[in-house]
Amino acid sequence: MTVVPALTTVGQMRHGDHLLLGYDTDEERETVLAAFLLDGLASGHRGLLLPPADIPAGVALSFLEMHGCRVDEEVAAGRLCVDGHLAGPEGLWDLDEVIRREARRAVGDGFLALRVGTEILRAQAGQGLKTLHDSELLLDPVFASLPVLGICQYDRRVFDEAELAPIAGLHHGRVGADEVWRDDLLSITRTFVPPGLALAGEIDDSNVTAVARALQAERARALARTAHGVRARLDLGGVHFIDVGALRLLVFCALDLSAAGGTLELSGVAPHIRRVMRVAGWDRVPGLRIEPQGEPP
Amino acid sequence: MTRTGFVHQALCYGSDQEFLTGTADFLRDGLDAGDVVLAVLSGHHIALLTEELGSKARDVEFADSRDWYDYPSRTLGRYHAYCRRQDKGRRVRVVGEPVWTGRTEFETQEWMRYESLVNVAFAASDHWLLCPYDTRTLTANVLATARRTHPELALGARSSEPSGDYADPADFSAQVTAERRPDPLPAGPDDIRFCRGRSAAVRRALAGYARRHGMSAQRTYDMVAAVHEAVVNAVRYGGGQGVVRLRSDPEHLVCEIRDAGAHASVPRPGFPGHLPPDARAAGGHGLWLVRQLSDLVAEDLDPAGSVLRLYFRRSGAVQPAAGSVNS
Repeated sequence: MTVVPALTTVGQMRHGDHLLLGYDTDEERETVLAAFLLDGLASGHRGLLLPPADIPAGVALSFLEMHGCRVDEEVAAGRLCVDGHLAGPEGLWDLDEVIRREARRAVGDGFLALRVGTEILRAQAGQGLKTLHDSELLLDPVFASLPVLGICQYDRRVFDEAELAPIAGLHHGRVGADEVWRDDLLSITRTFVPPGLALAGEIDDSNVTAVARALQAERARALARTAHGVRARLDLGGVHFIDVGALRLLVFCALDLSAAGGTLELSGVAPHIRRVMRVAGWDRVPGLRIEPQGEPP
Repeated sequence: MTRTGFVHQALCYGSDQEFLTGTADFLRDGLDAGDVVLAVLSGHHIALLTEELGSKARDVEFADSRDWYDYPSRTLGRYHAYCRRQDKGRRVRVVGEPVWTGRTEFETQEWMRYESLVNVAFAASDHWLLCPYDTRTLTANVLATARRTHPELALGARSSEPSGDYADPADFSAQVTAERRPDPLPAGPDDIRFCRGRSAAVRRALAGYARRHGMSAQRTYDMVAAVHEAVVNAVRYGGGQGVVRLRSDPEHLVCEIRDAGAHASVPRPGFPGHLPPDARAAGGHGLWLVRQLSDLVAEDLDPAGSVLRLYFRRSGAVQPAAGSVNS
């Protein structure tokens, strides 16, 4: 597992943020981008998508429909826009000019800020990523001086980490999906490869309901994704305490998934937690699979 | 000799020969019947039986009683897990001799309770347990109690008679509990008050206490997990608040969880935490875990205010010199 530097979650973004999103799946890209654009609608911002292809706004933004957004209405009202500028071979050259102009125009149209999402294609990145480097560099003064927030999306299936690291350095950092839950003891985040939840901290009587809620949503997500069988995955690598009440919840979820022919898979279970599960007789519940220690998630 | 249903017999013997007469044919019969055959005994008795059984000894699973009979609740958990691992439908036949020597009075009473609980824990099974008692070394009290905790007394390997003194396990356990009832600890500087939503603070304070007193990381996890469950129970059934009192003596760290009582009569479980709950059962897991993770437990469960005292043996019998580093 590579060490990932601290992420800004999309919900924490502020004016002037220019962040890089390296995504592994379309689900991850759409999750982050949807939160980014819907936060914009809630904040009186205009959302502008610069996709790598010349496609109609309704199609480019259709993923927002799943989040309850009436895309056609928002586009008609000018609150969401799509611009095919990056679709052309020379789209990167004047990207800073485009964003500067669009930010001013958004303010002129009465919006409080512009939220811009760009998607860089391999083909546009140019020789040795030089053009890309220059254009990202030129973006910085734009974000520093105007009410604009941006996410530059990079498909990690196309750009490897050695290419992304220097590009990330030209941003204010990286952005990731919002946490599902955070309190003083526990954080719950979605994972995309493999799809599931990562829990970190302590789970007890005070936050077991948050876990139940997250698990319920994850169960629905697993049931909708039947290509490889119904599997809900929990990465417990960061969990150092879990009590009997919360373990019972996992057992219930596993039995429930088992009835639907599925499994609940736990990875990264610490030895002392594994011991508690064994003592309680919960290491051999139908539908519950505990990955052996050291097995990659 | 064929039997059906659960059988639990005490075998009183006064010599190596009587021991062999009572156990060897019992094990041979088990092997001939296709039973899973386990013998948990001292090294001396394992050697005697291995010689007596010859090539058949290979089919008997032997375990050292000093490892197996460490703490009563954990031994019960161990037998339970062992039987669960076997194929369904196969009878498990056990010769098991608990370790009675070198025990404190507290431990001896808990082992007596254990012998009684076995009758409930495996009541629904077909297992057959034979427990040898050495009349030369055991106290009159232990020998007399064997007749109260075993429904039958074995006469040699193949015959038995009912024990006239057999006591109902619920009554027997209640008697031990009454004798075990802990006097509350007085307030001390390490007291941790708790109420709803404060269990994390208890865990922090407890882990700090365990660290300061040289508890190993593994035992600290066990202690934190066990006390947490007791605290959550106290919050839920004991009026929502209470106090954890901590003491250390050369042998144990002692954690006492007291609640103020809910002043509402909650039906008391028959054998609280003594019997393994079904994986899907709604309750009973917390107290089972408390007993599995601690070494000894004394309790006074009362709707008007409960006291649960957990003992965790400190690693190593010998105290390290002051200032030395404890692993």
